[in-house]
Amino acid sequence: MNAFSKTLVCLGAVVGRIKDATIAGTAKTRQSGLGLLRSGQFLGGVRSFGNRHVFLVRPAGLPCQVAGLVLLLLAMPQTLFAQSNESVAGTLAVFPPKIALSHGEDRQSIVVQETRADGTTFDLTDQVNVRLAGEQSFAKFENGVVVPVANGAGTLIVEHRGRSVEVPVEVATVEKRLAISFTNDVMPVFSKTGCNAGSCHGAARGKDGFNLSLYGFDPGGDYFRLTREMMGRRINVAVPEDCLLTNKATGDVAHSGGSLISRDSEHYQTLLKWLREGAPYDGGDVPAVSSIELYPKAAVLDGPGSKQRLTVVANYADGASRDVTNLTYFSSNNDNSAAVSPAGVVTAANRGEAFVMARFDTHTVGSDFIILPKDAQFQWPEDVKAYNYIDDAIHDKLNKLRIRPAELCSDAEFIRRSTLDICGLLPTTEEVETFVADKSADKRSLWIDQLLERKEFSDIWLMKWSELLQVRSVGNRVSYKGTLLYYDWLKQRIANNVPVDQMVIELLSSTGGTFSNPATNYFENERNNLKIAENVAQVFMGTRIQCAQCHNHPFDRWTMDDYYSFAAFFAKVNRKRAEDPRERIIFNASGETKHPITGKVMLPKFLGGDVPKVRGKDRRRVLAEWLVSPENPWFARNLSNIVWAHFFGRGIVHEVDDFRVSNPPVNPRLLDDLAAKFTDYKFDFKQLVRDICNSRTYQLGTRTNETNKGDLTNFSHSTLRRIRAEVLLDAISQVTATRDKFRGLPLGSRAVQIADGNTSTYFLSTFGRAKRETVCSCEVKMEPNLSQALHLINGETVENKIKSGGLIKTMMDQGKDDATIIRDLYLRCFARKATAMEAEKLIVTIKENENRQQALEDIFWALLNSREFVFNH
Amino acid sequence: MRRCTDHRLSRRNLLTVGAVGGLGLTLTDFFRMRSARADQKFYESKEGTAKSVIYIFLPGGLAQQESFDPKPYAPLEYRGPLKSIATKLTGVRFSELFPQTASVADKLTVINSMTHGEAAHERGVHNMFTGYRPSPALQYPSIGSVVSHEFGPRNDLPPYVFVPNQPNTFAGTGYLSSSFAGFSIGSDPAAKDYKVRDLQLPDGVDTKRFQKRRRVLDIVNDHFRQKEKSDSLDSMDTFYQRAYSLISSEKARLAFDISKEDDKLRKAYGRNPAGARMLLARRLVEAGVRFVTLTYGGWDHHDKIENRIRSQVPPFDQAYAALIRDLDQRGLLDSTLVVVASEFGRTPKINATAGRDHWPKVFSTLMAGGGIKRGQVYGKSNATAAEPADNPMSIENWATTLYKCIGINADKELMAPGDRPIEIVNGGKVCKDLLA
Repeated sequence: MNAFSKTLVCLGAVVGRIKDATIAGTAKTRQSGLGLLRSGQFLGGVRSFGNRHVFLVRPAGLPCQVAGLVLLLLAMPQTLFAQSNESVAGTLAVFPPKIALSHGEDRQSIVVQETRADGTTFDLTDQVNVRLAGEQSFAKFENGVVVPVANGAGTLIVEHRGRSVEVPVEVATVEKRLAISFTNDVMPVFSKTGCNAGSCHGAARGKDGFNLSLYGFDPGGDYFRLTREMMGRRINVAVPEDCLLTNKATGDVAHSGGSLISRDSEHYQTLLKWLREGAPYDGGDVPAVSSIELYPKAAVLDGPGSKQRLTVVANYADGASRDVTNLTYFSSNNDNSAAVSPAGVVTAANRGEAFVMARFDTHTVGSDFIILPKDAQFQWPEDVKAYNYIDDAIHDKLNKLRIRPAELCSDAEFIRRSTLDICGLLPTTEEVETFVADKSADKRSLWIDQLLERKEFSDIWLMKWSELLQVRSVGNRVSYKGTLLYYDWLKQRIANNVPVDQMVIELLSSTGGTFSNPATNYFENERNNLKIAENVAQVFMGTRIQCAQCHNHPFDRWTMDDYYSFAAFFAKVNRKRAEDPRERIIFNASGETKHPITGKVMLPKFLGGDVPKVRGKDRRRVLAEWLVSPENPWFARNLSNIVWAHFFGRGIVHEVDDFRVSNPPVNPRLLDDLAAKFTDYKFDFKQLVRDICNSRTYQLGTRTNETNKGDLTNFSHSTLRRIRAEVLLDAISQVTATRDKFRGLPLGSRAVQIADGNTSTYFLSTFGRAKRETVCSCEVKMEPNLSQALHLINGETVENKIKSGGLIKTMMDQGKDDATIIRDLYLRCFARKATAMEAEKLIVTIKENENRQQALEDIFWALLNSREFVFNH
Repeated sequence: MRRCTDHRLSRRNLLTVGAVGGLGLTLTDFFRMRSARADQKFYESKEGTAKSVIYIFLPGGLAQQESFDPKPYAPLEYRGPLKSIATKLTGVRFSELFPQTASVADKLTVINSMTHGEAAHERGVHNMFTGYRPSPALQYPSIGSVVSHEFGPRNDLPPYVFVPNQPNTFAGTGYLSSSFAGFSIGSDPAAKDYKVRDLQLPDGVDTKRFQKRRRVLDIVNDHFRQKEKSDSLDSMDTFYQRAYSLISSEKARLAFDISKEDDKLRKAYGRNPAGARMLLARRLVEAGVRFVTLTYGGWDHHDKIENRIRSQVPPFDQAYAALIRDLDQRGLLDSTLVVVASEFGRTPKINATAGRDHWPKVFSTLMAGGGIKRGQVYGKSNATAAEPADNPMSIENWATTLYKCIGINADKELMAPGDRPIEIVNGGKVCKDLLA
């Protein structure tokens, strides 16, 4: 500081403590800032250290260059200055939290992360002092890596500005040298460099004549193809440096994939070492990777250009661990906000969120990254208080993101939104008027309670479940009678509030005739037992395992072993004819599931869980009981997510049936909390819906502010949702006072009550009603199309209903004037009154028309065609 | 005969490039290749020889033996019940039920070596509508949706139209946005009361009243439009604009009105579903629709193939030949690609119930116009129509060639969810022998 001060003095600068001063708007109290006082011509600068500001002015006559040099000095990282500053400092964390080195060539890199009070994080890995303390010299720290020296234990002490963190280090069997393993050393090189990616040799039929298994799911096969196929021309153990494998990888001979490995890289050395040792497979059994850890698990980066390095540790079945950062394939789901380099350094770019993933072996894990604009100033608004636990989780996340939630929606908006969402109806004119006039503070809660007690509430969930369980008739397979019985079975359970876990156990373990025990229709709707397993995973766990039928899932944890051992739960499902040709009988008999590559009979194993004892038990019952148990974390999360998505148009995990490592929940805490509550409520939908609708988050308006206008995923404002087909038709019938007739239902029933997925009308099909052909949530189509527009404009639904309902005529007969009729129509359709301007303009259109009824019907037509009507907002 | 050639940079080509340059890969090359691999492959789509496509799909699996690849010299149980006839092409014979098609054979390319491995209907259909084998993880868009995505509407008409309805889910948009969905006309043009749904203003609403309604709707929408912003709102506005232009353009609307066709021509096509659908398809492409998908009949003849095929083929034969002649006379054949396809063929041997079962190993398709060579047979099946004997035609090559005529390089990548760039067709090659 001395020499530095002298420089300042000789420049005639002023050094002092200026508390909370802002100089030329550039120096902020909390961050260190460096600014020019006048751009263009350098006059002076400010460097601030927390509360202390160094203010510097160029004396007349001093060349700009000299002053500039000084300024440059000032701009150097703060750590260069001895000045420590407590007000900036946050907490230090060192990863991995413990280090175990188990052989002579073992290594471990570390990452140091500082978390400040405002939540932002900084990578201090390069700025810390590191030393090792222990009984003797058991290890050393060089180039950011801990290297073993002798057997022993001690601690790694990481220091930064007076703060320190200790990490236990253990070195064992340092004399050991591991033999090279094809599976554990060579295969990861192919994954890391992308050789076995789907776009390269991992494609089903390989690339340019050479095939590797996708992301290395079949090491044995890859070994064969490398060493034996094409009569061994791919490798050369005599001259390893000059064989097709090395020459292609380095790009020394033409390679469509280009040069992927340089001759001085560690990856190249691994290949060479393997070839030099005679290209062996694994020397005996090698331990499998049991899990991998990616550090740090979360980061909030402060502005574009901020960096954070990552480190990855693989844990093996024999208890050993290994630093595999250099062998890990990194990717980001949002390069626009945070890109990750092949070496594992994340660089922040635009504001947003990114999930940075690491893939090693068959494992994929990820960390959450939030990128903020540099020096984002943010204060959580005082008046925004959580209504319940849902808002706590949402606000916590929004605060991290520096996002202020939208204002609350109006009462009119709330009553329309909640009635549509909870009951699939529009509120009546009277309900709207009473509600809006009501002055009590808890009227929204009371209204929610009222809606939840209506029978229409269970109709909505019956419809949802009918989609999940594919209630529909199928050509020669599931008769209409069977479908109706299946629907009734479901209806009884939902109407009687049978807990969902019980219902699922009953469903999945059902046996008997499709008429006598209608739950068995589940196994007739889909007869392929593999497909049934896929459906169960998708519906009850929200997980798509389809990929793993043919290869290990590239972006999730599921392997082919997982797939076939999960499918084995349904291996014994058999079907036979019943007396009635329309009925079938489902029973358990013989049957096993075989792995298609190894041909091994697979033992039933829970997805991501244990191998249960199934001898002498009904495998399906064993599975169902596990599915709904707390041991399966996905059941409650998945159902909570489905419920959530119904009210927000988007799941916390989006799409709702696509839970996947690489598709993380946008707000994990919220999902956990909802799942915990839902389990506490014994899977009672009503309770969960009550919580959701009573949250402040559900009651937000659609209008965005500066901070949340870019947010589409964190529920910081309400979004427009097109009303789904059934509800839209019911709403049109409701406001036009008309009735519909659907197959198997009495006149005046609602479209949401239709039992069979195959019963439809032109309107319902056009607006995207699910046919229930698959369990995919994507079957319900919310996208607009040309036929919808044409149908609303010219089609019979709107046109006929306006006429046959006779509403306009009735209103005219009652002697209502134009303004009153417009007011009534608006309340019916939009749950609000027309604005003065709207009323005025519309009345003009009535006056212009000689035919008053026609003019009014045209207004009604326009209301039903309007965006405000077909969207829930 | 030349095999289908790869138009992309092959390893061999790369070697040539290297030899010309006389240098190995430089660092810049390396980075360029790296980034090329990471980015989407992009090629601009420009209208090709086929300005429009009529895709005639015969669901169920048309027997190649009873249509365009008869085996008159095979033993009876392979030959089947029908005789064969000569065509306009020397040495080429069709089944006796296709005399009209035989008389326009000089305008067609018959492919008798189509082959894929999918013997289940839905999987075969998937192949023929998307150019891809089915994947459990991804929904591929149909060829029509890709055309819609690449080119958009023409002359106020929707780019992709189904006559009468979307035949299966694989004719949909797959991973592409719903705005590229086909428009179902929703009514059979052969029906007496045929009318395209919702195109006409309802009774009692004339143009004047409709204008008034639109004005009222603008007043009503105004408040909401100022208050709300969203993508779905915008796309709904887009479809309303499309609907308005369709409703208000008499010319566009007339494209759907088959009654405007000359009686003699209607008779020439045949007043039945086959004739009416193909005639309507011609009207539509003439007016500006880019891709018409139409289906006719059911061809899953597991039993009594003779009776069924005898009743279904003649209307098709008449209509198809009429379509080819009609297009040719109007000078539209060279800019309109007409494809006849089925999800697969049928077993070489007649089965126990006098039918034939599924057979994807070899089957036939017809292609005509839009840049396809006139008058040839491409590929051959073996003596019993059991497998390709010459120039097997894969789905990928077939689809890539089709796209080539339309003016789309099928190697182009479109973005699937999760920022996954997917080739329009994976690894297909343009089959130059099919092209004029």
